Amino acid sequence: MSDRFPRAIELGLAGCQTCGKVSRLVLGRCPRCDSKLFMRKPDSVRRTVAFMLAAAALYVPANVLPMMSMIEMGVVTENTITGGIIYFWQGEAYPIALVILTASIIIPLLKMVALTWLCLAASGKIKPTPGTLSRIYWLTEMMGRWSMVDIFVVGILVALVQLGNYMTVSPGPGALAFAGVVVLTMFAAISFDPRLLWDRFNALQIDSSPSKEIDS
Amino acid sequence: MWNAVWKDWANYPSEWSLIHKMKKTFFRLRRELSPWPRLPGGAHFAACHFCDTLHEAEPLAEGKAALCRCCGEVLYQNRPASLARVTAFSLTALILMVVVNLFPFLVMDGAGIRTTLNLVSGAKALVASGSPLLGIALALFTIVTPLVLASGLLYVCGPLLFGKIAPGATHVAKWLNRMEPWNMIEVFLLGVLVSLLKLDKVADVNFGIGFWAFGVVMLCMAAAVSGIDRDELWDRLEVARK
Ligand SMILES: [Zn+2]
Ligand SMILES: [Zn+2]
Repeated sequence: MSDRFPRAIELGLAGCQTCGKVSRLVLGRCPRCDSKLFMRKPDSVRRTVAFMLAAAALYVPANVLPMMSMIEMGVVTENTITGGIIYFWQGEAYPIALVILTASIIIPLLKMVALTWLCLAASGKIKPTPGTLSRIYWLTEMMGRWSMVDIFVVGILVALVQLGNYMTVSPGPGALAFAGVVVLTMFAAISFDPRLLWDRFNALQIDSSPSKEIDS
Repeated sequence: MWNAVWKDWANYPSEWSLIHKMKKTFFRLRRELSPWPRLPGGAHFAACHFCDTLHEAEPLAEGKAALCRCCGEVLYQNRPASLARVTAFSLTALILMVVVNLFPFLVMDGAGIRTTLNLVSGAKALVASGSPLLGIALALFTIVTPLVLASGLLYVCGPLLFGKIAPGATHVAKWLNRMEPWNMIEVFLLGVLVSLLKLDKVADVNFGIGFWAFGVVMLCMAAAVSGIDRDELWDRLEVARK
């Protein structure tokens, strides 16, 4: 026990989520910025799971429904996310195909897997290894926004390609679903509290520390 | 040596009010470039936002960062000339945002028609074509958030540069942190690039002035947002309020 550093929670202290000031939790509100003080983000795991389930449910229509439809000389072509990637790949524009593949498919999927993993670890279902897990959390926080790129492409094309009978582009229902996925996974990452991982980790260490003392 | 010359000149009695003002401003700025102020009272603490380990918040030299002794995360860092930097970059970003909205991002010539795209027209087109939610999302992430973020930073940090606190600055500062993840300028720029490649075979598409201006806005916003540490900003606000 003695080799461990003191944690704020053990002394009844809470770091303010907004301004970082450390004050006693009994104060209720942060004396510096007047935000409500919490030991941990309220209902962190449950909120993260709820946002993620909603995102996962939207992920299916986002990939199946068309992101946009192109009307070229009266012929309607509907574009899905995968269709766009295949289009660039066949056109030998590999870097851009990879960018869209990463932003639209790999990042949202990885993010959902990572958040599930984090929630399982925070609720004690799997062994928490805070070192790697916090790296993963940091990544999910940073990468989520880049998925928005496909939505912006739809917006730009809709605004730009209005050439009357020759060619017009209009947004499809898949775009809205995909925007929902991105926003919901961002909320899921924001509501997760990484300190829960260390709470679990330390609880495990305290449990196993008596045997260590006998050994030494 | 220049310091001595400047002091000599600055102490020279002069009735020119402009020079007096410049002198005052210069010394105020120099005071601001002085280190991160210490909060009154005894020891202050910082808790790691990753692992909750408690640290005594020691003052740092400029350009240095304090790392968590348990998990290695950055606790807080002392950015050099933080307030001056944030003020300058957010002001530049705001001015350039006007330019961005005046000039097109992309210019497309196809089927004998020239169409141009700027930020507002993109959002408007989405609303007009039956996706108001997407239009609002586009406007929120690429126009409203960067605009509010830049003007908020300017509003909080500008007066602090002169040791003053703007009315309601603490409320503004509270919102700055929450808005940060929703500023998606760089993602939008990537979207512009992808669209350009997508339209390459259909029409003749070229970058407009707006694109380059928005690129500079992106760099300025990144510099402004990362120009001051959250703890330093709040310490300065706390000191200025007293
Ligand atoms: Zn606070
Ligand atoms: Zn830590």
